[in-house]
Amino acid sequence: MQAKYINPFVKATVALFQDFVGVDVTAGKPYLRKDPNDLEEVSGIIGLAGETVGAVVLSFSRESAIQVVSRMERHTYQALTNDVIDGVGELVNIIAGNAKKDLNEFRIDISLPGIVTGSSYQIHWPEGIPVIAIPFDSEYGHFSVNVSLRDM
Amino acid sequence: MKILVIDDSGVMRRIHKNTLTEHKIKENDIIEAVDGQEALEIATKEDIGLFLIDWNMPKVDGLKLVKALRAIDKYAETPLIMITSEAAKYNVMEAVQAGVTNYIVKPIRGETLWNKLSKYIDT
Repeated sequence: MQAKYINPFVKATVALFQDFVGVDVTAGKPYLRKDPNDLEEVSGIIGLAGETVGAVVLSFSRESAIQVVSRMERHTYQALTNDVIDGVGELVNIIAGNAKKDLNEFRIDISLPGIVTGSSYQIHWPEGIPVIAIPFDSEYGHFSVNVSLRDM
Repeated sequence: MKILVIDDSGVMRRIHKNTLTEHKIKENDIIEAVDGQEALEIATKEDIGLFLIDWNMPKVDGLKLVKALRAIDKYAETPLIMITSEAAKYNVMEAVQAGVTNYIVKPIRGETLWNKLSKYIDT
């Protein structure tokens, strides 16, 4: 997977958190995720189809997910409610939809978001395509955006 | 004037709704729908003056909803505002061809959103 496919997701994530959620985030150096299922407790997933194939997964700790969605909605959630899960889905949806703007070599259709929670789950990533993790740091802790996209 | 907010995310519906109520739109004038299918059911029964439409939704998505609304005589000229994360140029073109009045890319909220919507709202 080419590095140029990663930058649109970094840019979309930074803009989303700073301009919409209201949280400053710092992007770390992207790296190859050796175990694609080594994710946090709450993950929002978007499938990518069309002229390429892939997936985007936004992964938070339970606490970070609650705090970020609380900040986004300007409403305090105390637990991982359906609304918090809904909010995580919306966040990954915006990241994927916004990244498309700079991935203009091919047409991409994005799926509806799915959310998985828990300490042990498996995501069925597209086969044979590496997963690149982009780590982020924020006042609400670490989170990651994980991208797998087939080269065209 | 009734405003129909259509988004499968309850969080986003509330964020849009808060922007409207913060600008003196009465809560009773804001109706919510979770997808295009529910929006069409509401639009048939009510007279909606402004639609805020997400794109990616189950059952009937925003693009299909725009086409369906434009085929209904009473909504031929009604402002249909797409508010979506879909930022690619080809998405914008498709939506314009389907008949949207304006295309707004999420994330957007507060004053920035209101500045784009206020011209369509009779208060």
